[in-house]
Amino acid sequence: MSTPGAPPPSGSDTPTAAPLGRGPLEPWPDTVHWQPISTDLIWVQLIRLAVVVAIGLAATGVGWALSGHLLFGIALAVVVLLGGWRAVAIVRAVRAWGYAERDNDLLVRHGLLVRRLSIVPYSRMQFVDVSAGPLERAFDLATVQLHTAAAASDARVPGLRPAEASRLRDRLTALGADRAEGL
Amino acid sequence: MTDGPAEPSTVPPADPTPRGPVPTAPPAAWPAPPGDGAGEPRQRLHPLSPLLHGAKSLAVVIAGLSWSTLSRVGFGWFAAMVAVLALGATVLSVISWYNTGYHVVGRELRVYEGLLWRRTRAIPLERLQAVEVVRPLLAQLSGLAELRLEVVGGGKTEAPLAYLGVADAARLRERLLALAGPVTQPTAPGDPTPAVVPGAAPPTRPAPGRPLHAVRNKDLLVSQLLTPQAFLLPFGVAFVVVQFVTAGSWSFVAVASTLTAMAGVLLQPIRRVLDDWNFRLARDGGTLRVHNGLLETRAQAVPLARVQTVRATWPLLWRVNGWLRLRLEVAGYSLADADDRNRPDRLLPVGDLPTATMIVAEVLPGVRLDALMLTPPPTRTRWLHPLGRRAFGAGLFEEVFATRSGRLTRQLVILPYARIQSVRVVQGPVQRRLGLASVHADTAGGSGATAQDRDLAEAWALAAELTSRAHQAHNPT
Repeated sequence: MSTPGAPPPSGSDTPTAAPLGRGPLEPWPDTVHWQPISTDLIWVQLIRLAVVVAIGLAATGVGWALSGHLLFGIALAVVVLLGGWRAVAIVRAVRAWGYAERDNDLLVRHGLLVRRLSIVPYSRMQFVDVSAGPLERAFDLATVQLHTAAAASDARVPGLRPAEASRLRDRLTALGADRAEGL
Repeated sequence: MTDGPAEPSTVPPADPTPRGPVPTAPPAAWPAPPGDGAGEPRQRLHPLSPLLHGAKSLAVVIAGLSWSTLSRVGFGWFAAMVAVLALGATVLSVISWYNTGYHVVGRELRVYEGLLWRRTRAIPLERLQAVEVVRPLLAQLSGLAELRLEVVGGGKTEAPLAYLGVADAARLRERLLALAGPVTQPTAPGDPTPAVVPGAAPPTRPAPGRPLHAVRNKDLLVSQLLTPQAFLLPFGVAFVVVQFVTAGSWSFVAVASTLTAMAGVLLQPIRRVLDDWNFRLARDGGTLRVHNGLLETRAQAVPLARVQTVRATWPLLWRVNGWLRLRLEVAGYSLADADDRNRPDRLLPVGDLPTATMIVAEVLPGVRLDALMLTPPPTRTRWLHPLGRRAFGAGLFEEVFATRSGRLTRQLVILPYARIQSVRVVQGPVQRRLGLASVHADTAGGSGATAQDRDLAEAWALAAELTSRAHQAHNPT
């Protein structure tokens, strides 16, 4: 954990220390070393949001220009407000996301309004997905997702540097094979 | 949707059955099958099965055409339409029968099907959860049976082999269970699985093994009368009668439609009575054998090592008699499968606490259902559950994690530590203000157990304890 195999962080990455204070979802602060995810994910998500907001603005703007009805103006304002609120939420949510590798399990925490912490034992892992969409690739990011036999398990770590993602995947599969019991 | 589309497909574009060269050698990692296996020829389903499928589609066709069509086109045309559609369905099922085959290769069951869209499914037997022999009414009349396999990770029932001869089905079931063997062995305390004489195990005879319990049919009837549907039925009938009397219109279609709707409401209790009739539970080594059904008898074999959770439910109206229902969850059945008839989930359709305690002790050794003391959540959760606070509870026991919920329909979930797949702690906004959190323990298949609204510190401790106990349960050293 001391050597996240990421290239030299660009800009605001802080790969060694947990960025947050002692939030309520830090259960065992002495034993768990939370790793943050890359803050570049903020940009990825902001761009996605911007696309949605732009479409919304265009639709309502055209509607307003053509009909001149006040309702379209209100809709436009709502789109702007929601976009702004969502942008703030994205920034905070990405900073709140974290993961930690312990001896026997992986911890993932995320969420602001509803806070979630998942504990997935390596031995229960069925397979690991590493994925990266075009936008994520442009920012040099990848997502690692752990699957167990339970559909409800929820262990997804977005915003990892590809090197860190493949290191995590290799480590998880190695540990999973070591401790494999499946069901 | 007549037999039109069937005609072109009877002229196959290619050689219809590549019957011969099937056995691609099993992967080297798998041990050689005991006895005959690797080179065994592909087997067909029973030749009568297309007829049965056709007859089954008749009911669907009639339901699809509905009452209003009958009144519009008259009886003669209606019968003709039904006949044509059913004939088409039968022709289709003959074709599909011709192209369907199965055989056991190594530790896999391979099922081949489809003419245009060929599909070969290899079902690894080590992932087998349960095998059941189902005999719908028609199959009972014709001496056939359907074999269903439940596999881990499969969203739905894999490969229903419909239909086989009864003896064939029983033999194949024993063989598959034997091949899936190592799974059932570790939990078998003492008595080994008795050798089954091939062909001598029709599923109509009582389940083999040590009988555990048989539910009295009278109790079953009474229990299903004690359901909201049965209670509301008189009101429904009265409403309909009043309406007809006041409106004065007694058209055949209206009466028929009303009766159909009424049957729909009553379907669940009636189906439960029919399904759970003559319910018998037996234990055969590490396998639980369930035998039930009136019109459609089924014999299920559930390896105990695959039981994920046991769920006890006390419906409100049953509390008069102190009755409860026990269900179990086996990996491989998705909750999305709303049709709960196909899941081997019945452990006890109705029974009192001592019976349930005995059965739970059998399924989960060392667990005493009547002695599970659960702690309720802290008093401040009354803001979230003004009435039902005491109904919630959670507790850690030697082998299992147990949670309780529900004010009216009380539900208790018992989850062995060894079955925990992952642990989650979730805290919503209201819970954060009150310093609470919910702990979920997830299992493969089923919904797992949830300790609702625990004190935050307790939730952390609970999650840590669950994780370490799940780990220990898997690595005993």
